[in-house]
Amino acid sequence: MSNSITSVTTSLPTIPSPATPGASSSTQEEGGFFSSLTSAIEKVEQVHTDAQQQISDLLQGNRQDVHNVMIAVEKADVAFQLMMQVRNKIVNAYQEIERLQF
Amino acid sequence: MSMFSMLEASGAAMTAERQRAEVTAANLANTSTTRTDQGGPYRRKEVVFASSGALSFRMALNHVGSLEPRLPAIRVASVVDDPAPPVMRYEPGHPDANTEGYVAYPAINPIQEMTDLMGAVRAYQLNASAVNASKQMLQQALQILAG
Repeated sequence: MSNSITSVTTSLPTIPSPATPGASSSTQEEGGFFSSLTSAIEKVEQVHTDAQQQISDLLQGNRQDVHNVMIAVEKADVAFQLMMQVRNKIVNAYQEIERLQF
Repeated sequence: MSMFSMLEASGAAMTAERQRAEVTAANLANTSTTRTDQGGPYRRKEVVFASSGALSFRMALNHVGSLEPRLPAIRVASVVDDPAPPVMRYEPGHPDANTEGYVAYPAINPIQEMTDLMGAVRAYQLNASAVNASKQMLQQALQILAG
């Protein structure tokens, strides 16, 4: 849990566009799907950090409202599940394309 | 995030109900308290619930630019003293007895307090159920993508 989710994405190599390789194509790519995906993952990460902070506050006795901590954990869980579903869909689409026969 | 606004509304309600239960428990604990910092017997406390647009600064900030109607969030506006006069009991040996031998005890009815406590616990349960319903709804939505 201590490893952030975003560290996975930063370690990924950037995929150059196969059609038009060069600097001009990457600028077009940045504003598109991958940037929105990265920002979505960052939001999931933020929800997770929030839940983690609240759990440690609860365990240290800094706060008494157990239910709000549980709700924060639930939010983090749902956000993570959503991220995983999107990831599964992307991987499925990739595998579908990989199986294309010419 | 409006995706979790249902969870936040239930969470605010649970916080409020917990405070109500706390105040009721304090009333029950002080049924025969004759000395307080303010002088005189303990005064029965009651919570006042209020519904406001923004629970916290963060919630207000999150709502900026949103077109959705803002859901009012419940909170405990204040804890007030019950104005009922104290109950006088004849106990001449008591150190807090007045010149006539009467001791002022708080006007707390344990049955009423227990009913209040049950109400608070049930309301807490109700909101916990709403949290679970919201969770199930979110998971059902996620299942669309999985199926």
